[in-house]
Amino acid sequence: MEVSATYLLQLLLNGLMLGLIYALIAVGLALIFGVLEVINFAHGELLMLGGYAMALTLPLLGLSYWPSLLVAVIATSLVGVVLYEFFLRHIGQAEFERSILTTLGISMILLYGMQYLFTATPMMVDTAYGFDGVEIGSIRITLTRLIAGALSVAAFTGLYCLLKFTQFGRAMRAIAQNREAALMVGIKPRHVARNAVALAAALCGLAGAALAPIQLLHPAMGQAMIFKAFALVVIGGLGNMTGAVVVAIALGMIESWIGGFFSIVWQEGAIFVIMIVAVLLRPDGLFKRGSMRVG
Amino acid sequence: MTEPRWTSYAVLVAIALLAALPLMTGSNYIVGIAISGLIFLAAAASLNLVYGYAGQLSFAQLGFWGVGGYCAAIAVVDLGQSFWFGIAFAGVVNLLLSTVIGIVITRTTRHAFVVVTLTFALLAGLIARDWVGVTRGPLGIPGLPPPSLMGFAFDTSARFYYIALVFALIALAFLYSLKTSRIGLILKAVKQNAPLVESQGIAPGPYKLAAFVIASVITGMAGGIYAFNLKVIDPSFLDFYYMQTFLIIVIIGGAGSFWAVVLAGAAMVVLPEALRFSNELRMVIYGVVLVAVMMFMPRGVSGWLEDRRIAALRKALR
Repeated sequence: MEVSATYLLQLLLNGLMLGLIYALIAVGLALIFGVLEVINFAHGELLMLGGYAMALTLPLLGLSYWPSLLVAVIATSLVGVVLYEFFLRHIGQAEFERSILTTLGISMILLYGMQYLFTATPMMVDTAYGFDGVEIGSIRITLTRLIAGALSVAAFTGLYCLLKFTQFGRAMRAIAQNREAALMVGIKPRHVARNAVALAAALCGLAGAALAPIQLLHPAMGQAMIFKAFALVVIGGLGNMTGAVVVAIALGMIESWIGGFFSIVWQEGAIFVIMIVAVLLRPDGLFKRGSMRVG
Repeated sequence: MTEPRWTSYAVLVAIALLAALPLMTGSNYIVGIAISGLIFLAAAASLNLVYGYAGQLSFAQLGFWGVGGYCAAIAVVDLGQSFWFGIAFAGVVNLLLSTVIGIVITRTTRHAFVVVTLTFALLAGLIARDWVGVTRGPLGIPGLPPPSLMGFAFDTSARFYYIALVFALIALAFLYSLKTSRIGLILKAVKQNAPLVESQGIAPGPYKLAAFVIASVITGMAGGIYAFNLKVIDPSFLDFYYMQTFLIIVIIGGAGSFWAVVLAGAAMVVLPEALRFSNELRMVIYGVVLVAVMMFMPRGVSGWLEDRRIAALRKALR
């Protein structure tokens, strides 16, 4: 096979976009784990809901991209608030298995409920941007992908600033680092945890909405993604957000390159093999667990 | 909690009723549900050993279920062996596989344990789909022949039912005796107070590994039998749906409680069928039940009943 630089670069760009989307999902999982010590099984379904919210509002708003995106993000963050207030709030710190099973149940309700309402047939989502693309030299990239990538980068910048410079973010980091000390200085864990879940859900909704015009939409799409996101978070170190982002982007590119040269088998399996090796070598993940350091 | 005295009578009556089931109904539909129910029950009871007794929430059981199904099918179709050999083969492969995996993962934290076992299950699904040379990929292996024993073919649902029944009874009897054995008692003690057990000079590790391996072997053999019940195996055999069903049975009954899980298995197989929901709605109901149980009685029905009993005792004492 002839390997051209253009092909490699094209794969790199595709992988980067994919990795940024993975990172949006994984960073939310890491955030929830850091603050609540809960692995959110329903996280993939939040992504799927974001996608469907986008698909349903687009035709209503005349295919305009940005307002629909906003609706999707707000809708999923509200789902996140409901998820916290009704379910996660009642689960104690030490009840790890209970939290997994509860969120698994919620994921089943959302997944099969959506499948019942919209059937398992994949949906195509069309935006005003259609299949327009930008050409840089001989590399072509569709506008929707470019926007998805830019949105992710913007979201990470926003998240970084939020966690580093605002009271809202400082409280979140404080809880993750030392719950008792945070309580003593008057931080309310309940508010912080709710904010964390809403924020993580919003990131997921953003990922789903950005993904909707790029790939086919179907109720099980979240499940396919979430398993990868779990693996990413474990490789990166549970609860470590920087680790999640770095590993996610790296994986997106690795997957893209593998997919470009080998059969699809290896592309899908790569992450799991990488994860098993990573866990064997470093059971706590590549990056240090705990304290959600953002800088 | 000790068993009430009537338990053994209840078990005998239940076995007699189950043995007579195909004679009481001519409906293949009902017998078919009973077959799935019995096989799911054996798998769920094994999961109960891993999660309920050893306290390890393992999603790897789905992988072992699938590996067992494929091993049995391949032994019969490609290696030309009998069904019985296939089931034994499924058991042996799972024994080796779960020992290797178990040694690695029983060392990780419980957070990582969940994710790694989940990954194993998904990897098994990917291999089933993509290793076309062995598993035939998405096409699967159709036309699995009915088992036969000394010239007697188990070629109808009613006949196959007895294979499922005998297997489920042996598996449950084995798991029951394990529960009351030293291994079971130590697992129970580990769950209640691990440092105390260690101070007695007992390392919990090998016991947890043993529970994991035994459960995997039974789940694998159950998967093998289920594949022959379906007469076809393809990657959908590793659908997450099966894992969810096993989990639901364990959770509703109450992890760590033997009889409650058996009863919950019967209830969760029969109920949705009796109400004749669509497959999606059934899974939605499973989800609602799972969330409700986790919210209101996290130790399952048996834990809830025990709490009631203790509350009543306290009230009587006052």
